Amino acid sequence: MLLHRTYGQRRQIALVLGLILALVLSACAPSGADDPAEPETTEAPATTDAAPATTEGDSEPEEPTDTTEAEETSEGGTVVKVGFLSPVTGPLAAIGTEMKQGWELYWEEHGVDAGSYTVETVYEDDAGNPDTALTKARRLVEDENVDVVVGPLAANTALAVADYLVQQGVPNFHPVTAADDLTQRLANPLVIRVGAMTGSQATYVAGQWAYDQGYRKAITLCSDYAFGWENCGGFVRTFTAAGGEIVDQLWNPLGTPDFSSYATQIASSGADVAFIGSSGGTDGTNFMRAYEDFGLGDQIEVLGNCCLLDQATLRDAGDIAVGLRSVTYWAEGRESPEVERFIELYDEAYGGIPSLYVANSYTAAHVFAEALKASEGELDPEGLVAAAREVNLEDSVFGPRRIDEWNNPIGNVYITRVEQREDGSYWNVVEETYEEVSQFWTFDPQEILDSPPYDRTNTGQQ
Amino acid sequence: MTGALGTKAGRFKLLGLVVAIAAGWSVPYVFSNYQVSLTTLILISAMLATSINFMAGNVGLVSVGHAGIAATAGYGLAWSFAQGHGLGTQLLIALALTLVASFVFGLTSMRTSGIFFLMATLALGMVVFGLSYRMSAITGGENGLSGIRRPELFSSYWMYYFLVLVVFVVVTAAIWVVTRSPFGTALRGIRESESRMESLGYNVAAYKLGAMMISGVVAGIAGVLSVWLMEFVSPASAGFLRSALATLMVILGGVGTFLGPLTGATIVSWIEHVLSTYIERWPTVLGLIFIVVIVFAPDGIGGAVRAWWQGRRRRSDREVARSSGSAVSADMARSPGGSQGTAE
Repeated sequence: MLLHRTYGQRRQIALVLGLILALVLSACAPSGADDPAEPETTEAPATTDAAPATTEGDSEPEEPTDTTEAEETSEGGTVVKVGFLSPVTGPLAAIGTEMKQGWELYWEEHGVDAGSYTVETVYEDDAGNPDTALTKARRLVEDENVDVVVGPLAANTALAVADYLVQQGVPNFHPVTAADDLTQRLANPLVIRVGAMTGSQATYVAGQWAYDQGYRKAITLCSDYAFGWENCGGFVRTFTAAGGEIVDQLWNPLGTPDFSSYATQIASSGADVAFIGSSGGTDGTNFMRAYEDFGLGDQIEVLGNCCLLDQATLRDAGDIAVGLRSVTYWAEGRESPEVERFIELYDEAYGGIPSLYVANSYTAAHVFAEALKASEGELDPEGLVAAAREVNLEDSVFGPRRIDEWNNPIGNVYITRVEQREDGSYWNVVEETYEEVSQFWTFDPQEILDSPPYDRTNTGQQ
Repeated sequence: MTGALGTKAGRFKLLGLVVAIAAGWSVPYVFSNYQVSLTTLILISAMLATSINFMAGNVGLVSVGHAGIAATAGYGLAWSFAQGHGLGTQLLIALALTLVASFVFGLTSMRTSGIFFLMATLALGMVVFGLSYRMSAITGGENGLSGIRRPELFSSYWMYYFLVLVVFVVVTAAIWVVTRSPFGTALRGIRESESRMESLGYNVAAYKLGAMMISGVVAGIAGVLSVWLMEFVSPASAGFLRSALATLMVILGGVGTFLGPLTGATIVSWIEHVLSTYIERWPTVLGLIFIVVIVFAPDGIGGAVRAWWQGRRRRSDREVARSSGSAVSADMARSPGGSQGTAE
C-alpha cells in the first residue's frame, strides 16, 4: 500500500522526516561534538581535561535549560557547576517537579553566590527510570563537566547513579531519596544525603512513641516496595523492642486505587494502633478515602508516616484528616521564623504550602551553600562532601540539622497533628519533638549494618 | 515486506551494512565519551529490537514482553557477579536463565498467534517484573543490584563500545543468515498460513518454539550487554515500558527490515536521552512521531525512505524522458540496480 502514494503524500512524508531530522540534529548539536577524545588517552576521567571555555561557548545559545548566564559568572566567584537530576516526566513527575522547585527557590532567595563560589545549575530529566538516569548522569559528568550531581529521586535511580558517580569521582548530594542503604550498607565518602531522612529513621520514633502512649498491639500497612519495607521496619523494630506486639502486617502495592479491604482488615484486627507507611501522593489520598468510608478514626488510633498526610494528600483530603497524627521530619506548621519565611516564599512563587519534597531540596541547597561557604580555592570532591558533613544548621526548615559519619542527617522528628488554618487550608502542627534522631535510633550502628535490609521477610521484628 | 528481499535490495543492504560498520568503528575516535556511551546504548537497544523484529517480521508475532527475557539474563549475570562467581559462570547462568525464559515464552507462542501472543508476552513480561520486584533477597527488589562491573578487558568505555559493536554485527549477520535459511522461509510460510504449512507436513509448533528460542537468545545477549553498560539492574529493566519502547523501535524502523531496529533504536533513544534535555515534553514528541509514522508510513521509516527515494528517481526519470503520465507502481518503475542514484 505504501507504493501507491500520491505526490502530495510523499511530500508530507518528506516534510515530516525533515522535521524529525531537524529536531534530532538540533538536539545533538551542542556539547562536545568536537571533543577530540582519542580512546588511548581517556583512561583518566576525561571530564576534567576538556576545555570548558570552548564547549560552553558552543552550547550556550542552544541551552534553554541553563539558568545562569555566562556574564554573571565572570563577576562572581569560581563557578561550581551542579547537575540537578529529577524526574519531571513519567509517573514521578509531580514529586520531581516539586523537588526542582525547592532547589530553585533557595537560589532565587539567596542568590547564586555562596562564599567564593557561584552556583550554576544544569537541570536534567531522568523520567524516574534508572537507565535514563544513568545516561543523563553520564551526560552531566562527561559532556557538561559538572562538579556535583544533586539527585535523583527514586531509590533505584539514586543507587544506580551514585554507583556511577563514585567511580567517576564526582560527589553526589541526595535531597529526597530515602533508601537506607545509601548511607548504610553502601555508604561512600562521595555520597551524602542532605535533605530527607532514611526510610526507617523517622519511623523508629513512631514505634517508640506508640509504645510510650500505652499501645501494645499494632497493625501496619505499608507500601509494598523498599521505601514501605523500611518504613515498617523502623516502626516494628522499636515497637517490638519495647515490648509491643504486631498483630498483622499488610502490604499495599504502589498505586492501590481502593483501600477498602485494607481498612476493614485494620478495623477488625483487634489492634489498638495502626501505623500507615504510605508512599504519599494518590496512595495517601486513596487511603484517606477508605479511612473516612469505614470510620476508622472512631475505631483505632491511626499514625501516618512522613508522606501519608503530606501536602499532596492534605490539598485533596484535608477535611477528613483533621486531628490525625503523623511521625515526620517536615512539619509545615512548626512555629519557627525559618519555616514561616519558607512557606511565604513558596506561596509567592508557586502558591500553596510547600510539600516535603520542596523542603527536602530547599534544605539540600541550604547545606550545599553552607558547604561552599566553608570551602576555599579549587574544590576537591571528597573535600566538598566533607565540608557538607561538617555543616551544622541551627535552624533549617526541618529544625536543627547536622550530618553523621555515614553522611546522613541527624535532626528532629516531630509527632504532628493535622489542623485547619485560618485561610481554610490544612497543615501539620507539632505536638511533640524528638531531638537528635539518628538513622540508627538508639541501636548499635554495627548491629543494623550487619543485619539484612528491611523487606517483607526481614521486618525488623525483635 | 517480502518484496524487499530481492537481490538488489539485499546488495544495497550489504553496502549499507559495510558503511555502517565503518562509521560505527570510527565513533570513539570522533565523538566524546558520553556520545560513545549513548551509541553503545543505542546498539544494545537495537539488539533487543532485533530479537522482537525477528519474531514480528518472520513469524508475524509481535511481542511486548521481550524486556522480560533480557532482564532475566541481566539478573542472572548481576546476581552471579554479586555472588563472586567468575566470568564463565556468570555467562553460563545468564545463558541458562535466558533459555529457560525463552522456553516459557516459546511455549505460549506455540499455541497462540496475533493479539493473543501479544497479550501472553505482556503477561510473561510482567511476571518477570513482578518476580524481580518481589524476590528482593536475590534481586535487591525495587532498589536493584548495583556495583556490577564489566570484565577487566572492557572496563573502558571505548573498549566496551567495540565489544558491543562486534556483537551487534555478529548478531545481525546471524539473524540475516537464519532469515535467509530454509528455516526462515518456513517461518514466513507459517506467518502466511499456519494450516497450509501444517498440511505440508511442517511441525508448526516446533518451528515457532525454535524461532522464539533464537529470538530469546538475542534478547538475552542484549540484556547482558545492557547490565554491563549500566553496571546496574533493577525491575525497571523488565518493565512494560522497556518492552513497549523496544517494540516501538521495531515499528518505527520498519517491521521485517534488517536495519529497521537500528533506525528505530536511534530515534527512540535520542528522543529519550538527548531531546529530553531540551524539551520537557519529549514523550509527546515520541508519541507524535509514532502517530505520524503509523499514519503516513505504516511500513516504518525504512520503508518510507525507500518509497520516497524511488519516487524521486521515478520523477526525475520522467522529467528526463519528458514524459508525463499517471502514477506508476514503484515496482514497475524500479530502474536496474548498481547506480548511485540520480544526480541533482
